Amino acid sequence: MFSRLTPYLLVLPLMSFIAVFTYIPIAASINLSFREWDFLSPTMPFVGLENYRLLLSSHEFWNSVRVTALFAVISVPIRLGLALMVASYLVRETLPSRLLRGALFLPSVTSTVSIAVVFSWMFATDYGMVNAFLVSLGLGRVPWLQDPQLALWVVIIVNTWKQLGYDIVIYIAGLQAVPQELYDAAAVDGGRKGHVFRRVTVPLVMPTTYFLLVVSVIEAFQIFTIVDVMTKGGPAGATDMLVNMLYRVGFTLFDIGQGSALAVLLFILLIALALFKSRVLGRRVHYEA
Amino acid sequence: MKPDVTKSGNRILPWLALAGGLLFLFPALYSIFMSFQTVDAYYTGTLDFTLENYQLAIGQFHFARYLFNSLIVSGTVTVMGLASATMAAFAFARFRFAGGNLLFAAVVATLMIPSHISLIPNYLSLARVGLLDTYAGLILPAISNGFAAFFLRQYIRGIPVALDEAAYMDGATPLQVLWRVIVPIARPAIFSMGLFIFISEWNSYIWPLVAVGDEDLYTLQVGLARLYKVNPGEDVVNWPLVMAASTITILPILLGFIFVERHLVRGITMGAVK
Repeated sequence: MFSRLTPYLLVLPLMSFIAVFTYIPIAASINLSFREWDFLSPTMPFVGLENYRLLLSSHEFWNSVRVTALFAVISVPIRLGLALMVASYLVRETLPSRLLRGALFLPSVTSTVSIAVVFSWMFATDYGMVNAFLVSLGLGRVPWLQDPQLALWVVIIVNTWKQLGYDIVIYIAGLQAVPQELYDAAAVDGGRKGHVFRRVTVPLVMPTTYFLLVVSVIEAFQIFTIVDVMTKGGPAGATDMLVNMLYRVGFTLFDIGQGSALAVLLFILLIALALFKSRVLGRRVHYEA
Repeated sequence: MKPDVTKSGNRILPWLALAGGLLFLFPALYSIFMSFQTVDAYYTGTLDFTLENYQLAIGQFHFARYLFNSLIVSGTVTVMGLASATMAAFAFARFRFAGGNLLFAAVVATLMIPSHISLIPNYLSLARVGLLDTYAGLILPAISNGFAAFFLRQYIRGIPVALDEAAYMDGATPLQVLWRVIVPIARPAIFSMGLFIFISEWNSYIWPLVAVGDEDLYTLQVGLARLYKVNPGEDVVNWPLVMAASTITILPILLGFIFVERHLVRGITMGAVK
C-alpha cells in the first residue's frame, strides 16, 4: 500500500531535532564536565573529576543547593495547600466560579519577566506599593529585596502568585473526577465543612496531589527567571538558585567545565525525581473502583 | 459541594468572586494603569494620562522591533513544532515499524529531561556553525516538542482506523490521509497544542538571553529584562515607561487569553491527567 519508509520519514523531522538539541547535548554536557575550557582557548584538556571536586568543595555550590531546596520545600506546600482550598470552592460550574478561575489562571500563562518586573516595583523600597501600604498604616519601609532574610520570601510569593492558577486548574480536574455521591454521603452524615474537606476531599485527590507535588518540586529546582530579574541571586547569595548559578558560571565566567558539571548534577537530581514520579504515579493513579 | 447556599449568598457570591479576582490581579492591573501615567503624575501621585510611555517604548527603546522578533520566533516555532509533532504522532499512532516503540519512548523521555542540561552544549554548537545572533539560533533548539507529539499521538489513537482505511481504499497516500482525514478531526487537539507551544515560546527567557547578544534580535522578554536593569530593591527612574514595555510584552497573550482559555485549560489538564 505504501513504502516501508513512510513512518520513518514521518518521524524524521521530530527525531532529528530531539537528537541534535536534546540527546546529543546530554552527552556533550557529560563530556565537557570532565574538561577544562573557557570557550576561547584552543585546547580543552581532560581533567577527570576536577570540576566536580571543585564544585562539591565550594561554598557557592552548597549555598545554591540549600537555597533551592529551601525554596522548593517552602513554596510547594504553600502552593498546593492554597490551590486545593481554592479549588474545592471553585469546582462548581457557575459563572462567578468560572470567572474567578480565569483570573487565577491568567498569571500562569503570562510572561514571567513581566511578572518579575511588576513585583519588583511592588516590593521596591522607596516607591513600591507594599511599602506605601505599610507607611499608610504607620509602619516603616522594609527593604524587601535587599534584606537576605526577606528576599527569598519575596521570590516565593511571586512564584506562588504565578503558579497558583495552574495548580488550581489541575486540582479542579482532580476534584471533578471524585464521585459526587461521596460528598452527598458525607453531607447526610452531617459532616461539617472543614471535616468533609479533611476526611473526604484531601484523601480523594491524593493522586492529583502526588502529581502536582512532584511536578512542582521538579519545576522549583529549575527556577531561574524570577530570580534573574528581581535579585540576580542576591543579596549575598540569599536567592542564588542552581540554574542562576549555572548561568553565571557558564555564561558570565565562561567556565564551561564547571558549568557543565553543575548541569550534570542538577540533571541527575531531576531525572531521579522524574523517575520517582512515574513510578509513584503509575501505582497511585487508579484509585477509582 | 455544599447545597445550603442561601438566596442572599447567591446574590453576593458573584460580586465577591469578582472582587477576589480583581484583588488577585491587582498588581497586573495596576501596572497597566501606571503605564498610562506621566512620570510626574506617578511620582507626585496625581492623575495625568498620556500615551508617551508607549511612544517611548516603541520608538526610542525598540519595543516594536522586539515585538516583531517575538512574533517571528514564536510563530515559526509553533508552525514547525506542530508540523513535526503531528507527523510523528501520526506515525506513532498508526504504523507498526521496527524501532517505533523505542523512538516513541525516546520522545516521551524528553518530557523528563530538564532543558538546562542542553544550555551550554547548544550554545557551543550554534556558535560553531555561526547561528548565534540569528533567528535560526533562537528557533531551531525550541522546535522539538515531546509533549505535543505524545499528546497528539494519544488523540489520534482515539480516531477510528476505519476512516484511514476508507481513504486508502480510494487511493490516498499516507500524507493525504494525514492531511485530509486525521488533521481535520484532530483540529481541536492541534489547536490546543499550538496555543501551548506559542505561549511557552513567547514567554521563553533563558535561551533567548543566552543565544542573542545583538539588540536587534532581542525578544520582548529579553528586551524587557534589559530595560529593567537596576539593583534589586532600588527604584528605576521611569517606572511608567517600564510598565508600558511590560504591558506590550503581555498584551498579545492577554488578548488571546480571553478567547482561548477553555482550549488552554483543556490542553493542560489532559496533559496532567494522562
